[in-house]
Amino acid sequence: MVNYYVRRTARVFVTIFLVASLTFGLVRLLPGGPFTLLRAQLLRQGVPADEVDARIANLQNIRPDEPLWMQYIDYMTALVQGNLGESISLGEPVVSVLARAAPWTVFVVLVSTILVFVVGIFLGSLQAYWEGGRFDQLVTGVSISMMSLPFYVVAVLLLYVFAYQFGWLPTAGTISNSVDRSLSVPFVVSALKHSILPIVSYTLGAAGGQALAMRGNSIQVLGNDYVQVARLRGLSDGRIATRYVARNAILPLYTGFLLLLGFRLGGTVILEQIFSYTGLGYYMITALNANDYPLMMGTFLVITVALVIGVYVADLTYSRIDPRISAGESDEAY
Amino acid sequence: MASHTTADGRYDDPTGESGPIIEMNNAKVTYDGGETFVLDDVSLSVERNEVVGVVGESGSGKSMLASAMLDAIPDPGQLSGEVLYHRPDGTTVDVLELSDEELRQFRWEEVAMVFQGAMSSFNPTMKIGGHFEETLKAHDARVPEGMEFARELLSDLYLDPERILDSYPHELSGGMTQRALIALSLVLEPDVLVMDEPTAALDLLMQRSILTLLEELQQKYDLTMVFITHDLPLVAALADRMAVMYAFDLIEVAPRDQLIGNSGHPYTRALLNSTPNLDAPLSEMRPIEGQSPAPVNVPAGCSYAPRCPLATDECREVDPDFYKTGDGHRTACHRWEEARERITLNFETAGDGAGSGGSEGGS
Repeated sequence: MVNYYVRRTARVFVTIFLVASLTFGLVRLLPGGPFTLLRAQLLRQGVPADEVDARIANLQNIRPDEPLWMQYIDYMTALVQGNLGESISLGEPVVSVLARAAPWTVFVVLVSTILVFVVGIFLGSLQAYWEGGRFDQLVTGVSISMMSLPFYVVAVLLLYVFAYQFGWLPTAGTISNSVDRSLSVPFVVSALKHSILPIVSYTLGAAGGQALAMRGNSIQVLGNDYVQVARLRGLSDGRIATRYVARNAILPLYTGFLLLLGFRLGGTVILEQIFSYTGLGYYMITALNANDYPLMMGTFLVITVALVIGVYVADLTYSRIDPRISAGESDEAY
Repeated sequence: MASHTTADGRYDDPTGESGPIIEMNNAKVTYDGGETFVLDDVSLSVERNEVVGVVGESGSGKSMLASAMLDAIPDPGQLSGEVLYHRPDGTTVDVLELSDEELRQFRWEEVAMVFQGAMSSFNPTMKIGGHFEETLKAHDARVPEGMEFARELLSDLYLDPERILDSYPHELSGGMTQRALIALSLVLEPDVLVMDEPTAALDLLMQRSILTLLEELQQKYDLTMVFITHDLPLVAALADRMAVMYAFDLIEVAPRDQLIGNSGHPYTRALLNSTPNLDAPLSEMRPIEGQSPAPVNVPAGCSYAPRCPLATDECREVDPDFYKTGDGHRTACHRWEEARERITLNFETAGDGAGSGGSEGGS
């Protein structure tokens, strides 16, 4: 039992270690990186070579004149200390950029993913309950249409209609400039107003998919003997619907929920670009365009770590939620 | 047409000291608005405290018969006819006339059912104990006393009550789950236990031990049992009376020894001959040629006629009613007397080495 948790936790650190090494390798391998450019610029400006090296080392947490393995150790040591280097394009530490951006992204992704599941489970259960009926057909049709529409198309459409045409909601940003950045009623209202469109466009399509999955699961569970036996035993419809059908139908969706949470963090790259929503994804694009490798590495690392943690939590909690998956019995990751 | 002794298809037991507890009259289950029959005019009475074994091949309507006793036909099946339940206090109810709430109480409190596949009869995300508790609560029974009784039942079934109640279904072996399910079906002290292939997924040894346990339970709690199976020799060890099903209807009902030793229906006799048997050499085992009809297009006349070596034009045209063929023995065959002569049972002929079982002498 303990062994299982130790193994899982060790796996998290190994994965994060590998990802960090990969980001280090990326920088070294990519041709024409920002530092070559910067170095050439500085040298051309007449800055002494020693100072150029020192500046670049500061930006990247590595000293270019050291052997590769020393650079690697320096980089990893800095990383462990929470130092991701300095953003070239923004001129501030990557960590403070991430700290500023991450809460917005986490907020949008968390709320929309929870909505995806709540709406999906609710619609899917009703569909299964009225299987083959008009409601079922309607929702299935709408779900499939929504699934086939990419979220960024929905985002652009919503932005056009609600922000530009009706002017009900802001077109860009995470919060209006006039609002003080402290936790107050106007701050919350403004934050909500800015996040409605990103959240809705990020929810609609995925919710359709979850509704279809929930519908399928519920119909399958309804066909199980134990549901029939429960009816014969005289249990109330409410208890059968919750303890028997819903619980067993939601279980397979639960792992998906935590994984999706991680994956959807990555999807914000496009979403935040459309809404000029200054979250992680937004800064990742900024970094890409500006060849700002430290910032790119930072955002990449944060998103990967989020996914790894999602899988980790799913692993640890799944055995508590589904008694059939007894921890340690299998070595499969979920 | 030959003479009928019991034209109404009902068998009245002259000995019945306490009378029947369940009387099923002309039960019919149809699907597709009456197009498909899966139970065709079945009448069966079950005496108090007896064990009735119902035997039939796959797809003969056995499970439907079991479900019909609790008015629990899966949707969209339509059940018609009469299922009379005689309560111990002398009153009689027609199960099919009960309101939803009355039916909810009737099931499990008076007639309980054990399904095939115990593993799939428990909610996989709930402990076994939870199943007992919720059943007690749903029937407004007192939970502490009920759980005490549940523990007693589990002990009767040679299980460790505390361990079982605290386990999830997947943590138990097949035999343990099956026994736990039997205990669950008895927790409200029903009078009748209907079992649909309760030993289907178990190995031979476990089947035997479950059967022994059922016998003990039946004695201890004065149960009436309807035991439905495809395994004729298995139920023969337990049953007082046996009924054979073929193509959605009963074709022969008789006391056990009568049915085994002196059956009148060619199908029953063929079934006995197809059963592995220690008294008869393997070469004497006869499979039954052909296959049983599907629920649509059941042939006119006797449904077994296409496979029956004794079938005549009468068999193909007139669906036989029950003939009284012995004491408490009724057979739905026009040619039952001939069947007894011409279809030899292989365990009888085993001694004199008469090569053919006689079943090839068809028309």
